[in-house]
Amino acid sequence: MERAAPRVLVADDEDDIRGLVRLAVRRAGCTVVAEVADGLAALDAARTAVPDLAVLDVSMPGATGLEVCAALRADADLSGIRVLLLSAGASADDVARGLAAGADSYLAKPFSVAGLVTRVRELAAGGTA
Amino acid sequence: MTAVDAFPPTTDALPLDDAGLLRAEVARLTGERDALRAQMERRDVELETATRMLAARAQTMTSVIDAVTEQSIIGTDVDGVVRVWNPGAEKLLGRPRADVVRKQRITDFHLAEELAAAGGGLSALVQVALAEGRDVRDWTYVTATGEERTVSVAVTPRSDDSGEHAGWNFVGTDMTEARAAERLKDQFVSLISHELRTPLSAILGYLELVLDDPDQPLTDEQRSYLSIVERNAQRLLRLVGDLLFTAQVEAGRFTLQPEDVDLSAVLRGAEETARVAATAGGVRVDLELPAEALVVRGDAVRLGQACDNLVSNAVKFTPAGGRVTLTLRAGWQHADGRFGDRELPGTAPVVRIAVRDTGYGIPAAELDQLFTRFFRASTARRNAVKGVGLGLSITKAITTAHGGTLDVASVEGRGTTFTLTLPR
Repeated sequence: MERAAPRVLVADDEDDIRGLVRLAVRRAGCTVVAEVADGLAALDAARTAVPDLAVLDVSMPGATGLEVCAALRADADLSGIRVLLLSAGASADDVARGLAAGADSYLAKPFSVAGLVTRVRELAAGGTA
Repeated sequence: MTAVDAFPPTTDALPLDDAGLLRAEVARLTGERDALRAQMERRDVELETATRMLAARAQTMTSVIDAVTEQSIIGTDVDGVVRVWNPGAEKLLGRPRADVVRKQRITDFHLAEELAAAGGGLSALVQVALAEGRDVRDWTYVTATGEERTVSVAVTPRSDDSGEHAGWNFVGTDMTEARAAERLKDQFVSLISHELRTPLSAILGYLELVLDDPDQPLTDEQRSYLSIVERNAQRLLRLVGDLLFTAQVEAGRFTLQPEDVDLSAVLRGAEETARVAATAGGVRVDLELPAEALVVRGDAVRLGQACDNLVSNAVKFTPAGGRVTLTLRAGWQHADGRFGDRELPGTAPVVRIAVRDTGYGIPAAELDQLFTRFFRASTARRNAVKGVGLGLSITKAITTAHGGTLDVASVEGRGTTFTLTLPR
């Protein structure tokens, strides 16, 4: 039997960026199980769908990507969800804050679609990138 | 017999010759006395004149100090007790001269917590001026109403007329509004830069999809147009990055990620980055790298950015047919900045990156301002060299953060050499 495609949650308040992420997730051979535009909706979706990977924008209304990530890590049922943070903040401090919140990987905007595809594929396969 | 007894009261009883001698002596002494008196009168006049001049000078000094209303001028004795308090100090701190002079200390007007954090007491205020003769930095003054003001204070020691240390001068400029405006500007730049990156992400991301779609290949013309769009989006992105970085440096929020960095690789990368522009501009770029790897501890991304800036500037400043040479050398630096190949007492191990061009050069009078942000050399404007004037200030900030120095030598019409020296 063919192995099911990894399930991915996409959260970003920018429609156009969500479109790019959706495309990259599909190109990485994964399925988008939920697409949301704010942090609180991302947490709800994570609890409902329990995806393999969450691609979270850092600056979102409701709750930031960092807060969503920390909440996932604090929840025993959800702590196994791998997290890729996307952020317009590209400084070393921004990356450090993201990783400190428990993210598996961090990608600064603007990102290359090809790079995001690779990152999603690696994370969905269970590795860290 | 005393000297007085030697002179009899009259000359009548003396022999004629003696009387004549005595009269002559009296006449000589009278002359001397008159001369001394005249000299004394002259000295009196001179002294009076000098006293008047001194008083006038003191009056001038006082009136100048009193005329300063926008800067506080506070003079203290060696213990910090206030002796001079000008109208500027009255205005800034809201306390009249009579309430302060000889009654309060300079430290009474400083924010106590800030002073304590700097070591406390008068010594915290004057220690740098004591060692270096002068110190300028921001301090927080507290006014009579308890309001805190950010003041740029220049501290200098004061001597008395015999050259003895007599106290301290504190000349302050109220920077409260200016500093608040700077903070606001930096916050604004950070916010705008952040916000600009999101639409740029969408532009570049979707462009990538169109340019790299194997199912729907573009015509050469379409590809060429979209490549121009992409190049300009990248340029905008670099500008946003430069603005954000400059704001971080200004706000003191710039940190390095240190690792071992191979500088030959950094320079090769800078040459590669500049290659397209150099080829288009007819400029030859040569690399002179040592055979062995030169590794320093530093932030690879930032050092790459610094070298990219220098090389891209050199290419932009060099007309067609010119040449840009990048050299990398290890050596030893003396305390006065001289560079040598051998280790000698008092030298420190360094690496030097030199970017030399045969371009337009920079007028000598402008070299001092070259590392100021948004400054553009007149030769850049005259020759329509593109840029906003951030590259060199960023390069300087990166170099300084690595404990290095950035120097420039230039001859207008002949070319420029930037030398980046880093400790190794």
